[in-house]
Amino acid sequence: MNRRRFLAGGACCALAGHGFAFAQEPWQAPPRLAKPDLATEEGGLWAMMDREERNIRRSPFLIRDRRLHDYVQDIACRLAGDHCPDVRVHIVNTPLFNANMAPNGMMQVWSGLLLRAENEAQLAAVLGHEIGHYLEKHSLERLRDVKSASALAQVMGLFGIAGAFGQLAVIAGMLSYSRDQERKADLIGSMLMHRAGYDPAEAAKIWNNLLLELKARPDGSPSANSPMFATHPSPEERSETLSKLAAGMPGGRTGAETWEEKIRPFRNEWLKEEIKRGQHEESIALLTRMGAGSTPNSEYRYARGEVYRLRAKAGDLDLAVADFQAAAAIGGEPPETHRALGLIYRSRRQISEAKASLRRYLELMPSAPDQAMIKSYIEELGS
Amino acid sequence: MKKLLILCVVLLLSGCVSVAKVETGPRAIGERLTVTLDGAWNHVDAPGVGPGQLWTMEGSPVDQLRLYSGIKEGQALHAEQGGQQKSFTFRSNMQPDEIASLFEGMLTRDGSRYKLEKLEPMSFNGQPGFRFDYSLVRKVDNVHLSGVGFAAVSRNELFAVVYMAPRLVFYPRYIARVEHIGKSMSIKP
Repeated sequence: MNRRRFLAGGACCALAGHGFAFAQEPWQAPPRLAKPDLATEEGGLWAMMDREERNIRRSPFLIRDRRLHDYVQDIACRLAGDHCPDVRVHIVNTPLFNANMAPNGMMQVWSGLLLRAENEAQLAAVLGHEIGHYLEKHSLERLRDVKSASALAQVMGLFGIAGAFGQLAVIAGMLSYSRDQERKADLIGSMLMHRAGYDPAEAAKIWNNLLLELKARPDGSPSANSPMFATHPSPEERSETLSKLAAGMPGGRTGAETWEEKIRPFRNEWLKEEIKRGQHEESIALLTRMGAGSTPNSEYRYARGEVYRLRAKAGDLDLAVADFQAAAAIGGEPPETHRALGLIYRSRRQISEAKASLRRYLELMPSAPDQAMIKSYIEELGS
Repeated sequence: MKKLLILCVVLLLSGCVSVAKVETGPRAIGERLTVTLDGAWNHVDAPGVGPGQLWTMEGSPVDQLRLYSGIKEGQALHAEQGGQQKSFTFRSNMQPDEIASLFEGMLTRDGSRYKLEKLEPMSFNGQPGFRFDYSLVRKVDNVHLSGVGFAAVSRNELFAVVYMAPRLVFYPRYIARVEHIGKSMSIKP
């Protein structure tokens, strides 16, 4: 394996201190990666990942929508270039910011990442980064770095127990990339973005957005709260490096309009999953940012209001009511907006407002799972 | 499922888990909750089970009946595990949908997927409460489960019985027993 391949094409990456210098010469991607002999350690790693991929294909957590899959697969393909036939995207319903790519070409993209990206280019930044790891065979390097056979056996043992998607999280932790590898992947990712016609400046934005979200938590430690920050360079360093890289590769598109069109059908469900995480401060930071776009969006307003309602700290219910009312004023609000409003009004004994909101909810969602409960509330509030 | 069974066997062999038979008839759970059983259950005592009791018919990796008696303001529904995991704590002013969401949060701490199927009012010997039905896809092994919960708040304390089991065989087998327990819930004023 040529560990310095990306340098050979002339893209200088002098790793030093907190960053590296670079020049924007064409980067020469390696030829397509052939399936290794099963008897080799690389072959063993592939076989393990092949098994994992079979599990993912069967998993109820896999999002099987063909149009969404093809859309994300196409973005990955444009980034991967000649390696496109080897990249297989699997979109997994998990409300966290993450994507990873295994040595056999399996790429997992979690729904939490799709919810958080503001445009195609931001998703491309993360996918390009993961493709960078893949092209440089960083997983294999890390496997070789696990020196002792007993340590490796522990990793394999954990695989047996952890199961399902947790397995990749385990191996990501056990075989986490070094910071130098992360820096390389950032560099390659930016170059792949540029080649695919995306604006590399979006790379720094998505990482900065995630950082703001994680810092909003009461315990505020990004590395402790996200699998994507656990091993990566410090967020400040990464942001600075990615911004410098982008400055050397100006231009490119964000694909914001197409992104909005493709993601819109799924967003409400993903927002519900985000609310269910119960990480109120993170969610409020996320939803405030996403809702601050130029086009008012009732889904974000409802979701943030619901987070306030569930957190229920002093003043939160007022904030929730304001968000629900704003969502209703924008229009196209989820029916649950009216349930949530009605429940707050009911708790405040605002009888007529409570009845009107709860009735509106049942009108919009006559087969709601909680319809019997809501009807009992309306009855209790009196005629 | 196999992995959970192995884990259960390991815990049993290590002496961390004890199982005791719970006989048919009325049983006191804590100081204020009484339920009536129309068949025997197994009471599992293991680290990390609290604050509720854990009962099972087939073994806790298969089916679980959790019984909560007198959960107080600010108390979590699960054993505190430290780390970065979110705690799901009870507030006495919670409405039924919030309490159902609280159980949802607890049951999905491992990334499992939950769906509320039904939420309806129910009375427990004159005490207003509610019943919720749900489905769950367990993250660790992708098993599809069905579940039901019965809950009420009395004097600012939460009382609840929550059951779940694989949806195809075990849930239909035991749901009548669980409903009998739910309907029998009696909370001392």
